[in-house]
Amino acid sequence: MGTSLSYREKTLYASLAAELVVYGPYFFLHQQNSVNKVAGMIFAIIVLEIILQLAIAAFTRNRVTDERDRLIELRGYRAGYLTLASFMVIGLGMLWFHATVGHLQLENRMVGLHFLSVFFGMLVLADITKTATQIVAYRRAL
Amino acid sequence: MPAIRNQIRELRALREMTQQDLADQVGVTRQTVIAIEQDKYSPSLETAFKVASALGVPLDQCFQYDPRGKR
Repeated sequence: MGTSLSYREKTLYASLAAELVVYGPYFFLHQQNSVNKVAGMIFAIIVLEIILQLAIAAFTRNRVTDERDRLIELRGYRAGYLTLASFMVIGLGMLWFHATVGHLQLENRMVGLHFLSVFFGMLVLADITKTATQIVAYRRAL
Repeated sequence: MPAIRNQIRELRALREMTQQDLADQVGVTRQTVIAIEQDKYSPSLETAFKVASALGVPLDQCFQYDPRGKR
């Protein structure tokens, strides 16, 4: 018997696809970020996730989740947290370096946006790591 | 060899029980039954008892522990 995807796996693939579709262009295509773009992306990911999750729920008869799903979820959150914590340390270190040793020259009005972009990017990468870790965990031995 | 091995596949086959039947009785997904059968997941004690109960055998007939196994 084959190993078709469980309800949780389908939702994870959908989440990863939504994250890559929405966040991908933000990191690779747009050079100039703005508060509106960040807000637009947050809105887009929420709408896309709702549509995808509703579609999956509608077309999946068996929506049981069990202890293995919860264990994998916890592993994903751990990986996501470690990623976020690592990026925070690196980010704060770089900020300290630029503020003290380097010569970071940003216009006052750009400082807030710069911080928003960096921390939003960290959150996105942590979220993608969380989802990807869960997908891999479903395919490997626990 | 894994530390915890099981005879679920054989016991299930003897009873002509599908993976989905067992999953429904135990309250887990079919994917979890597959993972247990393939020694990719060691279930909790509660689930192990439920699996043994669903197959109508004592726990030690269903699951065996090998102290030299890897996990």
